[in-house]
Amino acid sequence: MLRISALVALVAATFAVVVAGASGGATSHQTGSQASFPVTIVASNGKVTVARKPRRIVSLSPTATESLFAIGAGVQVVAVDDQSDYPKSVPKTSLSGFTPNVEAIASYRPDLVLIAYDPKGLSDALARLGITVVHQDGAKSFKGAYQQIRQLGLVTGHESEATRLVGRMRSKIAAIVAAARRAGRGLSVYHELTPDLYSATSKTFVGKVYEALGLRNIADAADSAGFGYPQLSAEYVVSVSPDVIVVADTVCCGQKPSTVAARPGWDRISAVRTGSIVRIDDSIASRWGPRLVNFFRAMSSALARLRQ
Amino acid sequence: MIELRGVTIALGGRPVVDGVDAAVAEREWLALIGPNGAGKTTLLRAVAGLVPFTGSIEIGGRPIEELRRSELSRLVAVVPQEPSTPPWMTVAEYVLLGRTPHLGPLAKEGRRDREAAARAIARLDLVGYEERRLGTLSGGEKQRVVVARALAQEAQIILLDEPTAALDIGHQQQALELLDLLRGESGLTLVAAMHDLTLAAQYADRMVLLDTGKVAADGVPRDVLTETLIAGHYGASIDVVPVGGRIAIVPRRGTRDT
Amino acid sequence: MTVAAERAADVRARGLTPIWACSAVGFLLVSLAVGVLAGPVDLGVGGVLESAAARLHVPGASTPLSPTEEAILWEIRVPRVVLAALVGAMLALAGATYQGVFRNPLADPYLLGVAAGAGLGATIAIAYLPEGLRGQRALPVAAFVGGAVAVMLTYAVGRSARRERDAATLVLAGVTVAAFFTAWQTFVQQQNAETLQQVYSWILGNIPNTGWSDVVLILPYVAVATVVILALRRVVDVLSLGDDEASTLGVDVRRVRLALVVAATLGTAAAVAVSGLIGFVGIIVPHAVRLLSGVGYRALLPLSVIIGAGFLVLADVIARTALSPAEIPLGVVTAFFGAPFFALVLRTTRAGVS
Repeated sequence: MLRISALVALVAATFAVVVAGASGGATSHQTGSQASFPVTIVASNGKVTVARKPRRIVSLSPTATESLFAIGAGVQVVAVDDQSDYPKSVPKTSLSGFTPNVEAIASYRPDLVLIAYDPKGLSDALARLGITVVHQDGAKSFKGAYQQIRQLGLVTGHESEATRLVGRMRSKIAAIVAAARRAGRGLSVYHELTPDLYSATSKTFVGKVYEALGLRNIADAADSAGFGYPQLSAEYVVSVSPDVIVVADTVCCGQKPSTVAARPGWDRISAVRTGSIVRIDDSIASRWGPRLVNFFRAMSSALARLRQ
Repeated sequence: MIELRGVTIALGGRPVVDGVDAAVAEREWLALIGPNGAGKTTLLRAVAGLVPFTGSIEIGGRPIEELRRSELSRLVAVVPQEPSTPPWMTVAEYVLLGRTPHLGPLAKEGRRDREAAARAIARLDLVGYEERRLGTLSGGEKQRVVVARALAQEAQIILLDEPTAALDIGHQQQALELLDLLRGESGLTLVAAMHDLTLAAQYADRMVLLDTGKVAADGVPRDVLTETLIAGHYGASIDVVPVGGRIAIVPRRGTRDT
Repeated sequence: MTVAAERAADVRARGLTPIWACSAVGFLLVSLAVGVLAGPVDLGVGGVLESAAARLHVPGASTPLSPTEEAILWEIRVPRVVLAALVGAMLALAGATYQGVFRNPLADPYLLGVAAGAGLGATIAIAYLPEGLRGQRALPVAAFVGGAVAVMLTYAVGRSARRERDAATLVLAGVTVAAFFTAWQTFVQQQNAETLQQVYSWILGNIPNTGWSDVVLILPYVAVATVVILALRRVVDVLSLGDDEASTLGVDVRRVRLALVVAATLGTAAAVAVSGLIGFVGIIVPHAVRLLSGVGYRALLPLSVIIGAGFLVLADVIARTALSPAEIPLGVVTAFFGAPFFALVLRTTRAGVS
């Protein structure tokens, strides 16, 4: 039982990552013309000034890694953490974003470190070593996610690519939403984080995806305390009978549409009967980077199939 | 009845009992005396089969290593110095525990067992106490309950470790008289470690004086409780006083040999 | 009838009296009823009864519930209640057994390292099993094996001790093994930090919604453990006198202790394998029974089984209805009751009633 207090701290912090920190907003200033340095942004760790275009970037945030490579800053990245797995060619190392080792990070001689989570004074320690740190907490909204991508563009000298990427994401998502919203109206969704029925409400980032598609999130009714990640009771899920089930625990916990359908009593659920169980790779469902579009796409095909 | 030959018990490297020879005849009352740390308790525990030893201990001609635990406990009952008396247990339950050697691990007490326990309770003058919890009893009453349990065991030999240590003089006398009476009635053999030399002299048939694990003297009380032996082993100066056919030990004040 | 025979009638050990047995069973039945009727979906007493009658093929009975409600009742709720009863019964029995065998009122079923071992097994399964197996029943098996290995190791360590091989040595060995396994488990968990939430969730303890499969899985272990321990319950009272006195009363203390510990451990490992580490049941229930009745283990052990079952069923009801339709981890609910209860136990035991 003694382990619990240590675990609580870690789990709370882990959730804090995904739930989104306090100051996700950022205003970007630039001095001088486009793609020129020094540049100052406001991130979760306050005002950060990047003096020169970074050549040795270390990313401890899987989301930031995806964004970096999507805006063409991949060549400047020398190391990424052990959870960064997209795109396939990233220079993955054994650095940990959850339990970071300052010396190990410093051994890569980075001039910019990106983090999504700041445990035990990591950013202070890196600052004392003279390393610039940008802390981008989990985004709370799509706007926040786009802002983070633009910030990354500014600090890596790829502002135009970043702006274009954000523009593409916006338009693609808008098109998907326009088409799918009609399909999704009146339908309910159950987003599954773990096989013991932890879900995510509309307050969360992933919940906003469903909101945008006009879906009703069955987890909302279960979150009186407002934490965003309630554990649902099986009876409730079966009785509410969601129209779509999104399985986001395929990688961590080996869940598939077949295992979900095999659960006792679940064969009565609407989504199971119509085969509307969507598999989403765990990482797509838990990041807020460029592959947000993929998430929307997967949802829209599921909804389209449903309407047939 | 009990024969010890060359019994040596080493605890933590040192011999606590060293080459002890002794014998207890049937129906005899043997008192084990000696200064603190002489090895009396350890010796009793060896006879009860609780500690390993080298040498031989035989009961009724059979070496105790060859007896199964249940067999040994049907022959030998133990009244320990500090018995564990769970406060929540009733007197009846506690005395019934004495019947354990006669039951298997899965068996329940039968009529015979309850009768044996009832007899023991009656003998120890505890009728009416059956439903009382041990936690509510006085020291003297607890002592009687422990003896009742040993009695219920219906073993031929009872080993007692300081049976009167915590009792006042009245209860001491009561307990020892009772033991003597039971010995006569049921033909028990008693081996008791006793620290009160006078009481030991009054009740025991024979005595064995242990000192640092070795037998220093073995015989009738008159022969064992001499001024020289007591002075030599206890470091005390005493007078031996004859009383009603037996002897009493009286401490002598004044100059002591150094 | 001789005088002795007459008095023999007064000499009685307090076994499971009819009054206590009926009260305990009554409590259990009420708990089961509450368990089956409570939940986010209101099924109504009549609905449940008629549905049950229909299941039992009572002529003329038909269920008024919709197919979904039927599924909720018989595939989710009833197996969950039954599982909670089995786990609660086993944990309470194991706790009471350990308290008797080790003469320690604070002993709980996890004393000899079962919890730490099962935790390690579960963490390894969660962290390292290939994707395909993870969704299957590998997790309970891993937890069970881990728990069993830990206790075997405890025994091995205890036997290798050069000091007197008594109950206290075994407990110390258990503490050592538990510390070792816990350290290892924490390490594995840290190495695979993305599994944190899953592992933590398992450690907190819950009654899973796996339907009848888990019930079938653990029933044999719980049944065997219960039978063995209850058969030996009179000997546990003898053990409460201490190893020496029990030996002089003819009990093969080491063997009996081994049998009791093995039985309690197997049952506990099975319970833990499906429900994680639900704390406090193994301590609260035996103590509550003792406080109320003051009986010895002969009655305490069977009573713990019955009341432990009812207790956990009720705790699970709270876990799944207090914040309905969200769930509270069961370990949190039992801890909520556990802490104040401990205080109560301390007060009363210090007052001299143990």
